[in-house]
Amino acid sequence: MNHLPQAWGRPRDDIYGHYDPSHLQTAGPNAHTQQPIVTGTSVLAVKFKDGIVIAADNLASYGSLARFTHVHRLRPFNDRALVGFGGDISDMQYLDRLLNSLDVNENYGSPGHVLNAQNLHTYLSKVMYKRRSDMNPLWNSMLVVGLDGDDKPFLSSVDLLGTTFSSPTLATGFGGHLAQPLLRKLADDESQVKDVTREKAVAAVQECMKVLFYRDARSLDSYSIAVITKEGGVELKEDEQLEGQSWAFADTIRGYGTQVN
Amino acid sequence: MTSIGTGYDLQNSVFSPDGRNFQVEYAVKAVENGGTCIGIRCKNGIILATEKIITSKLLRPGANRRIATVDRNIGVVSAGLVPDGRHFVSRARDEASSWRSTYKAPIPVKALAGRLGSYVQAYTLYSSVRPFGITAIVGGWDTDAETKVDGQVGIGPAVGSGGKVDGAKKGGPGLYMIEPSGLYWGYYGAATGKGRQAAKAELEKLDLSSGTLELEAGVMEAARIIYVAHEDSKDKDFELEMSWVSSVDGPTKGRHEQVPSSLLEEAERRAKKAMEGEDEETGSGEGEKMEE
Amino acid sequence: MFRNNYDNDAVTFSPQGRIFQVEYASEAVKQGSVVVGIASKTHTVLVALKRNAEELSSYQKKIIGIDEHFGLALAGLASDARVLSNFMKRQALASKMTYGRPIPIERIVERIGDRAQTSTQVYTKRPYGVGLLVAGVDETGPHLFEFQPSGMTQEMVACAIGARSQMARTYLERHLDKFADSSRDELIKHGLLALKESLSQDKELTVDNASLGVTGVAKDGKRKIETFKLYDGPEIGPLLEAALETSEAAPAAEGGESMEVDT
Repeated sequence: MNHLPQAWGRPRDDIYGHYDPSHLQTAGPNAHTQQPIVTGTSVLAVKFKDGIVIAADNLASYGSLARFTHVHRLRPFNDRALVGFGGDISDMQYLDRLLNSLDVNENYGSPGHVLNAQNLHTYLSKVMYKRRSDMNPLWNSMLVVGLDGDDKPFLSSVDLLGTTFSSPTLATGFGGHLAQPLLRKLADDESQVKDVTREKAVAAVQECMKVLFYRDARSLDSYSIAVITKEGGVELKEDEQLEGQSWAFADTIRGYGTQVN
Repeated sequence: MTSIGTGYDLQNSVFSPDGRNFQVEYAVKAVENGGTCIGIRCKNGIILATEKIITSKLLRPGANRRIATVDRNIGVVSAGLVPDGRHFVSRARDEASSWRSTYKAPIPVKALAGRLGSYVQAYTLYSSVRPFGITAIVGGWDTDAETKVDGQVGIGPAVGSGGKVDGAKKGGPGLYMIEPSGLYWGYYGAATGKGRQAAKAELEKLDLSSGTLELEAGVMEAARIIYVAHEDSKDKDFELEMSWVSSVDGPTKGRHEQVPSSLLEEAERRAKKAMEGEDEETGSGEGEKMEE
Repeated sequence: MFRNNYDNDAVTFSPQGRIFQVEYASEAVKQGSVVVGIASKTHTVLVALKRNAEELSSYQKKIIGIDEHFGLALAGLASDARVLSNFMKRQALASKMTYGRPIPIERIVERIGDRAQTSTQVYTKRPYGVGLLVAGVDETGPHLFEFQPSGMTQEMVACAIGARSQMARTYLERHLDKFADSSRDELIKHGLLALKESLSQDKELTVDNASLGVTGVAKDGKRKIETFKLYDGPEIGPLLEAALETSEAAPAAEGGESMEVDT
């Protein structure tokens, strides 16, 4: 038996389990993100000759429930950068407000100093890595697109661990499995980017959005798409619809409906 | 000067026997020596203008902006000690940022003026600090358009008013002037600095309270008034700096911006012409009459 | 200026609305040896006259490189300059790490201006007793800023502060139109000549007491910025010769002729 003062009046550990002292902390609730709750699915982007195309659907899922259907996950920063968010939506909101206040502060100086997409990406990767090191991550995987310091197309990803990737084509989430192979057919490495036209890039992205709608069980056919170029700035269309979706082939799939085979 | 402190003016926060805080009154003296600043409230926006006295030929022309932006839609210009003016703007930006964090919307000009008035007043309460040596003019446009909330996700319910009061008028221009004592009022036309008397006289002639003055016309008037006010410092060179905020469907789309250089040059040209016109009236005009 | 009731601390306004402690702090700047700064469309240059406490001691460092793209020249209390320059180094590095771009000069100068202003409004601090010329290059080109103990910061085309700096300022005003299009070498020459104007009768610019810092836009290379280079000691020798021979050439010729006539 434990006769020490800290065990007086306490139920026995071997019957009731070890005493949990965590509620004694006076510092107050200290929440650390363990799992994302309301989530967005893939974001995909591809570089072309004069800029970048990026797309994401307008769905925020609550687990397996397709809960919110007008959620715009492409958030412009200024006229030369945009961030596409996948993952937890409340963390997306936090980051959107953070970037908004960054934009307000950057505009306080004399005109001429503009944060381009590369600066934005560096900044976001520092934020994400810091949060991961605090064991309290912002549960997102993002694509930062736009123009870099030399007005060349820029595309990079950053995620909840602070890991960054850069490539002519990128996709987060399921897009990495379903869309990337199709996008890579367009531009496998940097040297092929100059042969990709805007129309080809947009068509490829739209094709991938269709594939994702067919096969990603947490996706929607309504999506947002943006094209960023030096001349046109950020052209964002937020309520596009995938056309011509047909499930007519469904009954040929084994296990469809009440079929056994 | 009657009753120069005599012992009650050496410390801030100390009342004199006739109930005055002399340190605050001396701070006002610092303001009176500064370059003239004015603000004009127009029908569809706000204009701020300042007379920047050129203290050295070596200054870079066009740099050294005095009119600062707070958030996106509010401008601040101050007369008096320039570093104190920057401190004031710094606090204004913090207040605007803190409002946005809480309410997810930009701070209304009225609320900002209130916060800053309290802040400036706090520097008159303790002997360990001194009052601000500036009078600041804060002007902006509160949006009347349907804007998204910060970080808005989704589009809200399809029925109902979404928590808003139907038919309530919101937004519009706001112009406030805050003195070193922390006292502030809302204005149709505000002026401070060396040439404030002349500027105020000109502003009163404009009949601003009727709310009919258009923004572009206001820009021309503001330039002219600064030139008139500059007569009080005629021996020194100056640079005119002007900024404006318009409504969402106006030239600045609700943002606080410097007046574009083409419009500024036009306004200065007309202002100079108006000044020469006045000289002719008082000078050669008499000569003509005599000939007749 | 003479002692009065209102000059004890920075939180007292005089009846005319002046803050004497801040004005006295500016006097400390005027006691320091002269520094000159000039900006052209492509480069900025800082030149300084260094002083030594006694003949055998080292000369006080007057130009400090802060980051790759800017540096400063100081006049006044060197220890106050050290505090400010250390702060600027930390801020510049943090900004570079966070955004991947060199900090805009205006922004870093604004930060020390705000720090200095706080010291002029509270009882527990004293104003900084140093004036700085901050020169550097960023996205919008070369910039030169003057920083004063009051917290006032202004962007200049050319500037001189410190003892007898009025002579240098006069030189700068006279040649103001030439600076914008000057080449790197011409700008250095102007800086050294302006500095020379402020020297007292018996003094000369030597490799020991002259110091120079240059930065500018480069056509290629990383970030297209020519790294801030400090010329001190023997390195400054050739630059001094190049600048001073052109100014001595004219009077020397006249001196030669008159001597011949006399004998």
